[in-house]
Amino acid sequence: MKRPLGCLTGSGLLAGILTALVVTAAAIASSNRIFSPGPLRQTPGVRIGGIESHADLSADCAACHPPFWTGRRMGDLCLGCHQEVAAELEDPAQLHGGIAGPENCTICHLEHRGPTAALTDVGRFEFPHERFGFSLYAHQEELSHSPVGCRDCHTESLRSFQVRACAECHFTLDLAASGEHMLAFGPGCLECHDGQDSYGSDWDHNATAFPLLGAHNRIQCSRCHLGAHTLTALQSTPLRCVDCHRLDNPHSNLLGDDCGACHNPETWEDATLDHRLTGFALEESHAELECLDCHENRQWVGIPQACFGCHSDEDEHQGRFGQKCGFCHRPTSWSDWTFDHAVIGFTLEGSHAQVACEGCHTNRRWAGTPRDCFSCHADDDFHSGGFGTDCGACHRPTSWADWTFNHNRSSFPLTGAHASVACVSCHTGGGFRGTPSACAACHSEPAVHAGLFGTNCAACHSTSAWMPASYNGPHTFPMNHGGAGGNCRTCHPGSYGSYTCYACHDQGEITNKHSERFSDFSNCVACHASGQEGDGGED
Amino acid sequence: MARNRELILAFLAIVLIGGLYSAISLTSGTPRAGHLLGHSIGALGFVLMLATETLYSLRKRAMRRAFGRMSEWLQFHIFTGIVGPFLVLLHSAWSFRGLAGAVTLMMGIVVASGFIGRYIYTAVPRTPEGALLEAEELQRLIAEAEAELRQAAGKPHAPSGAVAPGVSLVLGRRPRDLLAAWRRWRSLRRLDPAARSAAAGVDRLQGRLAELRRQVASLAAARRLLATWHTIHIPLGMALFVAAFYHIGAGLYFVTFQR
Repeated sequence: MKRPLGCLTGSGLLAGILTALVVTAAAIASSNRIFSPGPLRQTPGVRIGGIESHADLSADCAACHPPFWTGRRMGDLCLGCHQEVAAELEDPAQLHGGIAGPENCTICHLEHRGPTAALTDVGRFEFPHERFGFSLYAHQEELSHSPVGCRDCHTESLRSFQVRACAECHFTLDLAASGEHMLAFGPGCLECHDGQDSYGSDWDHNATAFPLLGAHNRIQCSRCHLGAHTLTALQSTPLRCVDCHRLDNPHSNLLGDDCGACHNPETWEDATLDHRLTGFALEESHAELECLDCHENRQWVGIPQACFGCHSDEDEHQGRFGQKCGFCHRPTSWSDWTFDHAVIGFTLEGSHAQVACEGCHTNRRWAGTPRDCFSCHADDDFHSGGFGTDCGACHRPTSWADWTFNHNRSSFPLTGAHASVACVSCHTGGGFRGTPSACAACHSEPAVHAGLFGTNCAACHSTSAWMPASYNGPHTFPMNHGGAGGNCRTCHPGSYGSYTCYACHDQGEITNKHSERFSDFSNCVACHASGQEGDGGED
Repeated sequence: MARNRELILAFLAIVLIGGLYSAISLTSGTPRAGHLLGHSIGALGFVLMLATETLYSLRKRAMRRAFGRMSEWLQFHIFTGIVGPFLVLLHSAWSFRGLAGAVTLMMGIVVASGFIGRYIYTAVPRTPEGALLEAEELQRLIAEAEAELRQAAGKPHAPSGAVAPGVSLVLGRRPRDLLAAWRRWRSLRRLDPAARSAAAGVDRLQGRLAELRRQVASLAAARRLLATWHTIHIPLGMALFVAAFYHIGAGLYFVTFQR
């Protein structure tokens, strides 16, 4: 006999059939309760149709599980009892509106998990909580770091929210901070917080138009957001310093409202005013002073900016130099000064720049000091007054030796050879004035024409040199005789008072020719007045 | 190792699966039977149980188209017969109410019955391929063992007393084996190392000879016990699968089709 396959033995088949009969009978007898995966929730809720909890339906599976031949779904039976939910389905503003229907009740609402197990588990459903104005972005976990449940916040009803639920958790998390926060901003958490936006845990005050800098980062929020219990009030907090610190202003409103121009957010004390903005830069010793040295009685505005406004008592010049101290003095100290002497019309040039002020300003008398040379240098006059008192006409300020005299401005311009001779050649004895300008006063008549032409040297000579001279005076004998060309020395080799013809004419021949007839023929011109051979005739 | 390979592998699989299940339970809570993971565990366990029930039986009847050795199929049958029910046990999420609880209880009974069956099965002498050994073959093996023992001991082997046949010889063999092993260990412990090594070889041959003699004596009783076990085990398994199919059908109906 062929052995049957596996369990398909007679006893096996019999056992299978018997088991099927027993299970079927048990299912019928228990109204399918033998298939129940667990007890129904027994915690009483709202009484609906005489039913306080699902456990009251334990004996009637069909109350929730309709037979398939009826065409109904479990959700239809759910909504048949929970009509308040059915009424919400079409209204998106309601808990189940727009997201739930008879086809998906069991996604969130689970049963057969025990008498006390929760019926709702939205872990499998992304409930769009933000559509009710509060995102669960920052509320993913409850205090024990378990996923947050609806009832963690909606302690009384899923359809309502008591804001004290916020406090219950957040006070546990951080009692001090939460208490301070609630005292400052009030108990209406939802007035500002929507669970996700910039007022959650990720919110950063520094990302706003008012970053918390310096001491602002350490003070209580309410110091600035005083009485702000709504988002609008928070965002309306003024941003200007003066709006909060007006009462802190020690300047009696004299410096305007722009506190930040001088103060930093860390402390009032560490103010750094850029004094240049006032038009009065604090330089040198001014920068070392305390503010109140100048701003007496905290008088911040109206302080004179002129030196004399503060320093009139310190004027050593007793007002003689006016009130513009800064004209000479620098802000380092009174002794640090530089006077531009040129501005008074007397530039200190040359050796004047090396002379101590008292050299000219005796007894520290500054005003009324004469400006002409002679007033100071009368004793230095080398010329003994001979050239007047206008020293500057010749001398420069470097030294007395540094001078240049323009002789052309005198009655005797230096021309020709006069320009190159030493002054003392003419101005003997140290005298300049009264020096004669006649040639003969300096130049004695030369022997060659002594007593012949008088003292009017310039009639023939120029100032360039004695020679050549140009004699244009009376001359009975042709001056160009024999091609002399005006060269006086051709005929007058020794003196212009005599002449000789033998420089050109042979004396022997002349002697031979004239000795027979003339006893004295030395005066050639007597006979040869024009220098012509025939001038003398036969006589 | 090779003798109980299927048990060791099953144990390792249980440790691995149990470790993963424990980790998931600690982090996310116990996987519920109706959730994806719980369902998946149950489905896989049931498939393994089905394989346990069907594949080994098919192989036993496929003598003309033999695929693999019978002993290996039996090892696979035992492995899936342990791991599959363990997965189903995890699927229960430790809730044993209603039909599901009854199915779990029946599964436990069938698994325990399987262990008993394996114990009886191993009392029946077989070839490495799993074929049954007859009494004549066992007598030949006994003669070979005696000759081998004479050669090793250097003197004629004194035959021990006759072994009384009976059911207790089958069911009580493991305790007796353990007791005999303990006695041998005690006697060998008194010898010096060289003598102990030589005596151990003789002792091993004596043990083999004793086992063969016990198998010969218990052959009929073992076969009778195995048949009886089959008579009980198969209806238990059949009832288990019928009840399990009811459970699965109800789950599909109430959870999947009736949302």
